[in-house]
Formats: sequence, C-alpha cells, structure tokens
Amino acid sequence: MKVSDLIKKYEGKTVVDSVSFQLPKGKVTSLIGPNGAGKSTVMGMISRLIAKDSGMISFEDRDLSGWNSRELAKKLAILTQHNNVQMKLTVRELVAFGRFPYSGGRLTEEDETIIDRAIAYMELESFEHRFIDELSGGQRQRAYIAMVIAQDTEYILLDEPTNNLDIYHSSNMMKIVRRLCDELGKTVILVLHEINYAAFYSDYICAFVNGKVAKFGTVDEVITRENLSQIYNVDFEIIRINDKPLSVYY
Amino acid sequence: MTRTHTGLFRLLLLSAAVLAASAAYLLTDSKLYDLRLFAFALKLRLPALAVMLIASCSIGAASLIFQTIINNRIVTPCLLGMNSMYSLVHTAAVFFFGSGSILAVNANLAFAVDLAVMALTAVFIYGFLFKKTGHSVLYVLLIGTVLSSLFGSMQSALVRIMDPNEYDALLVSLVADFNHVNSEIILISLLLLAVTAFALRRDLAVLDVLALGRDQAVSLGIDYDRTVRRLLLGVVLCISIATAMVGPVSFLGLIIANLARQAMKTGRHALLIPCSALMGMLAVIGGQLMTEHLFSFSVPVSTLITMGGGIYFLYLLLFKKEGGY
Repeated sequence: MKVSDLIKKYEGKTVVDSVSFQLPKGKVTSLIGPNGAGKSTVMGMISRLIAKDSGMISFEDRDLSGWNSRELAKKLAILTQHNNVQMKLTVRELVAFGRFPYSGGRLTEEDETIIDRAIAYMELESFEHRFIDELSGGQRQRAYIAMVIAQDTEYILLDEPTNNLDIYHSSNMMKIVRRLCDELGKTVILVLHEINYAAFYSDYICAFVNGKVAKFGTVDEVITRENLSQIYNVDFEIIRINDKPLSVYY
Repeated sequence: MTRTHTGLFRLLLLSAAVLAASAAYLLTDSKLYDLRLFAFALKLRLPALAVMLIASCSIGAASLIFQTIINNRIVTPCLLGMNSMYSLVHTAAVFFFGSGSILAVNANLAFAVDLAVMALTAVFIYGFLFKKTGHSVLYVLLIGTVLSSLFGSMQSALVRIMDPNEYDALLVSLVADFNHVNSEIILISLLLLAVTAFALRRDLAVLDVLALGRDQAVSLGIDYDRTVRRLLLGVVLCISIATAMVGPVSFLGLIIANLARQAMKTGRHALLIPCSALMGMLAVIGGQLMTEHLFSFSVPVSTLITMGGGIYFLYLLLFKKEGGY
C-alpha cells in the first residue's frame, strides 16, 4: 500500500499535509505522534472511513476509490473503537460477520470451518454462545479480532486497539497483533498512543507531527532520543530491554 | 441453530395471535344469524382490516430499518417529522389545486403525488442531514424535531388562509383514525409494498451488518452511503403508505420495533422485521377492538396507542440500559 501527497482539510485548517509513505508488506507498522498530529485521520483515509481531499492511496497498484467495496473487504479489514452494538449478538454471530464479504449472510460449510478456526485462535470457544454485551472489555476486543481473522484479509488496520484497556489486556492485545503478523502473515497497521508498545511490538514506525510525516523507518531508526524529543517536545531517555529501545519520559 | 428455531416458533405464535385477533375483529357482533347483515358488516370491516394490516406492517418494517440505520433504538421515523411533512405535502396539494381537483378527488393519484414529493424531500433532506452531521444521532434528532415543528407551522399557516370548506375536506385525511380508513389505495399500496420488499430483499443481511455501526459495515464491504440512501427511501415509502392510509401514528413504530427486539433477542432482521410487523398488527387490531367494544368509540385507537407508547417509552428510558434488552 502506497500513500502519496495525501491532504485533508477541516474548515480551512490543514490536518494532513502532503503525507507520503509506503507500507511494507507482512510487517507491523505503528503510526504514532502527539494529539492532533493527524495519525488517526491518515488511518481513517487509508481505511476509506474518511474522504480525502487530494492525493493518492494506491492499494495493490490501484487507487482505493477504484476498488469495489466488496472486493476490497476481502483484502483489507478495519477495526475502530466505535463498536457500540445495539443488538443481541453472540460471539459466534459476531465472528460470522467476518464472512459477509464472501458469502453475504448465507454461511457455507467452508465459512463455518473458518469461523471455528478464528474462534479457536482467539481462544473464545468457551463463550462462543455468550452475548457480546455480557463480556468484559478484553474479551469483547478478542471477539472483534476473531471477526477480523475470519474476514481473512491480507491487511488489518487497527485504530488505537489498546484504548480503554488495562495494562494486562493492552499487552495481550499487542501480543495478538504480533501473532497476526508472525503466524498468519498479515500486514498490520495500527495507530498507537503508547510509544513503548509501538517500539516493542512493531517492525516499522511512522511518526507524525503537525499533519506531516516527521520520521518513517524501522523501530531503531525512529526511536532515538533526538527524534522523540523533537516529535513530542518532551525530554526522553532511551534504554534498551530485550534489544528493543524503550523510552522513559517525565 | 436453536435460536433461529425459537425465533421461528415465536413468529408462528404471533401469527396465530394476529389471525385470532383478525377473526375477533371480523366476527364480534357481526349478526351471524342474518346473512345479509353479516355480509354488510364484512363489507365494512374487511377493507378496514386490510388497511390496518398493511399500515402496521409498513410501520413495523420502517421503524425497525430506521432504528438500525441510525443505530439507536429509541428513534422512529416519526420523531424526525416525516408525519408532519406528510401533512404539509397533503395540505399544500389541497391548498394550491383545490379539494375538487383531480389531485385530491382521485385517492390513487393524490397518494402518488404525496409519495413522490415525500420521497424526494425526505431522501434529499435526511440523506443530506445524515452525511452533514456525520451520522450523529443527537444532531439528527434535534434537527428532526426542529424540522417537524417547521413543517407543522407551515402547514397550519396554509390551513389558516384556506377556504373553510376545503379545510373540512382535508381534515379527514390528516387525523389518524382507523374508523375512516382510506381503503381506495389498498391495491396500489400492496403493489408498492411488494415492489419495495422486492427491491430490498437482499438488504436483510446487509441490515444485520449495518447494526454493527458504520465503521464495521464499511470494513465488511458495504457501500455505506448508497445503501443507507436506498434503505431510507424504503423507509419513507413505507411511512407514506401507512400515513396515507390511516393518518399519522407516532408512537406505534417505537413500541412494536422494541417489542420485536425484546421478543426475538437476535440481530437478524429476517426475523426482526416480520416480528415487528406482526406486533404492529396485534397492537392495532387489539386497540381497535377495545375502541369499538370497550369504549364504544369514545376513545380513538391512536390515543390508546400513544398512551401505551408513551408509558413504554418512559420505561425504555428509565429502566433499560443502553444496548441491552
């Protein structure tokens, strides 16, 4: 997926200013940056939830707007934080929605197998018949991930997946992200607030400041004292744990 | 698949109840001993029954679809002023062309005109509103309430400067009443409902996905804007049909859609929509039976429904937490 000269304005104010980058396939890429830097807006545009003002987002050498929605849904799945479901759904029914782009509501034998596998992968078997509004936040998040797995896409876009989760569930979430990439070969792109999660669990980092890409590169290239101090305007110390750069700020 | 089976079983039970209610409506006090009197009673009651069934079916389907589009279960299309828009369109037709014009005399033509104008305005206004407000329910509801009183004032302004005789002729069609139903449009309404149902037949599964919210629906490959516009058009058609037949009934949709959700405990619209329609039939026929035989016409059925609906609405707001049933 390649983004070039992406621009978005809200009421005359430019929130995303000629952003260009190329997302490496089969890797985990995190978008980080201070509030209002435009990372979520960029995410919204590459996941076609927000209309772009100008620029190109090419996905498999074709502009995103040229794709048929149904076909694109077989290649690219999105998970945002607006998951307020107003109906009685069991975990299994939710996961089954992942097959919608393929079979449009009529599940085939193959779909059922894929749903079973997704549920097993997220270890949700014991409550697959529970209603999702009866689950805890962490369990519900896993159910949604299982739906994304059932959707069987090459690309997975996650908008702040650790939002509203405690430390235990956040780090579990990040481990799942890693597994999606390492075990299932997915390309995962996520917006993150916690720099250390980004540093520890991603391969590439794209840092935004004022609607522009400030730094894009591997974790070691981006997570340095100078870079982070520039991006966040705060003093940083970098320490290495498990050969990963972790940042301390105060 | 046991949940589907209990769902189907409940639908069957409801259908039986509707059949029983219909029979009760047709046969109570119908002078079975005299065939001629019985035939006369049937001649009056059959069209009324047909109208009640069609109207509640359209209201039930429309309200449920609308709630799913907005992703909120305490809204009805009526809260957005579709009823007052209907009144305005209807009044304007009589005002500008006269109650003697073919537009007002020919029920089918009048209906067709109402429908065309309603559909265009509603899809334009509401389609635009949903986009503009980023599908924020609060804004849409607020603007809907404002629009509702705007249409209402425009309508009453027209009524004030209207010929009193024309107004008399108009009034009959503007007040919800199951005793003087507009039975001339039964055929065209049935036809329209069938066409709408056919056009939206593939959208039952799409509605299930839409209930997950806009982001997830887009992720699952639904062309959101176009789908919502198409469904909205269907909602407007259904509401127009119901309003043209029996006049504005505001709370009915809210009650029956929520009763259906509560009774079925499922997200599948293939089960929810029929259930909502059946609930509607039961409520309307039951209400009409009470009006005719319990209150001997002193309390109109719309009052009963509004009262019941109001109480149920309060119950939903006070005792049910958001999202749960």
